[in-house]
Amino acid sequence: MTSSIGDEQTLAARVADYLTQQVGHPVTVGAVRRFPVGFSWLTYAVPVSGLQGDGAVQELILRLGPDFGLFAPYSAGPQVLAMRSLEGTAVPLPRAYWSSDDPAILGAPFMFCEKVSGSAVVPWVSAHEPGLEEGYRKRLGAQFIDALAALHCVRWAEQPIAEMAHGITAENAAEQNVAQWQALIERWAMRPYPLAEYGIRWLKSNHPVAPRVTIVHGDYRTGNFLEQDGRITAILDWELVHLGDPHEDLAWASMPMYMGGSKLICRLAEPDWFYGRYAERAGYEVSMASVRYYQVFSLLKLAATHMAAARCFEEGRFNDMRMPAMGSQIATCLRQMDKLIEST
Amino acid sequence: MNNSFPRLIDGMCATLRAEVLSRLDDEFARGQVYGVINLLNTFKARADWASGFLLEQIAAQQQALDALRALLGAMPSAPALPDAPLPIATPIAELLARRDAGNRAFDELQAWLDGPGRTLPAAQASQVETVLRRAMRTEVDLELKHSPRPLFAEMSSGREA
Repeated sequence: MTSSIGDEQTLAARVADYLTQQVGHPVTVGAVRRFPVGFSWLTYAVPVSGLQGDGAVQELILRLGPDFGLFAPYSAGPQVLAMRSLEGTAVPLPRAYWSSDDPAILGAPFMFCEKVSGSAVVPWVSAHEPGLEEGYRKRLGAQFIDALAALHCVRWAEQPIAEMAHGITAENAAEQNVAQWQALIERWAMRPYPLAEYGIRWLKSNHPVAPRVTIVHGDYRTGNFLEQDGRITAILDWELVHLGDPHEDLAWASMPMYMGGSKLICRLAEPDWFYGRYAERAGYEVSMASVRYYQVFSLLKLAATHMAAARCFEEGRFNDMRMPAMGSQIATCLRQMDKLIEST
Repeated sequence: MNNSFPRLIDGMCATLRAEVLSRLDDEFARGQVYGVINLLNTFKARADWASGFLLEQIAAQQQALDALRALLGAMPSAPALPDAPLPIATPIAELLARRDAGNRAFDELQAWLDGPGRTLPAAQASQVETVLRRAMRTEVDLELKHSPRPLFAEMSSGREA
């Protein structure tokens, strides 16, 4: 299941060799610890001594994209380009260090980044679970909205992420996005899903024009940021980052499966407050028609992700029991997508 | 097996919850156990014993009954022996292939509507779309009707929600 990555001890030795080469002097690596989170990239805490040439221990985060992962084959490129592009902006995120797509180094494409303190707020809770404490929720909600607005205000054309532009414009952003996910559905689906086909037809016939082309996180929601004492310390999981219509992130965050049985976007924000505060900070008027379009798109994208999970498990690449559970949710997503199309 | 399929599933889920999870500390491992419970609940809603071995048993039984009837048929005091034709079971793989073929036809029809089918009179095209849409929804509705509540909260947190 760890493929050519090897066990934690092997990995620690390979990391030590690699980092020694990178910094030009010997470093030592302590016990590598894998976090039991995520369905895609593997995340490890790596204690390293001697990075600065002294004996100080610095804990790094190592992310590995294994060949058995949900969206394999992987490239560290997009998330590294995004993280570098966002350094020094108002978007809180870890600093990206070394990365490579060469599997000969650590057994899989990888990236190292700074370890940021904090813990994740779980998005999937039972409807009986009490909501977050009001003051805490509001504080987090405001930062959650502001960080998204800040992300969508970044002048990306002057940043490393510009190399991901591929001729994108406000006019063709939706079209490019739908085409990409249609291709992924064709790759992942193990049987025909006529309702997915219907969703694609609807999306192709109703393309909105983006208010501007921005960096889109692609999975912006509770569970993908760290918080400490009511402060968001880092926005994480940039693997689906791309350039596109900012409404996509608004729509993704507002999906019912991230509301935890409440009426709050990501268990954090009343919809009116979410869209109003965001529009004020981002400096453009939110189009609710575009939000609905991207909600339809998001439900299709989530169904596609579940198709990937089902295939990943079926091919024996991953025995994680959450994969078939995700696979069982394809119908749920497609039904919600259909209802949303019906109501627009 | 002498127990019913649903009761066995209930028993396995209860044992995992009461006897395994209560002794397991690792959060990831606990999440995986909830994943197994989630799947078992799906089996309970959608699966049953495979019919193959039962058909084999019934065929062997029928062979014996036929032989006994031939031996004892002339004796009026002998009990009447059942003489029903062997049931025919449809293999699940065949049903899956049939469903997928139907869905493939729906996909092709949708692509056709966006291409050569554009020449169809509007009223007729609308009727076709309506029938297609109803069929696609029904399939998904039936799937959801036979799906248990997913345990994502439990799988993520490793504890009861």
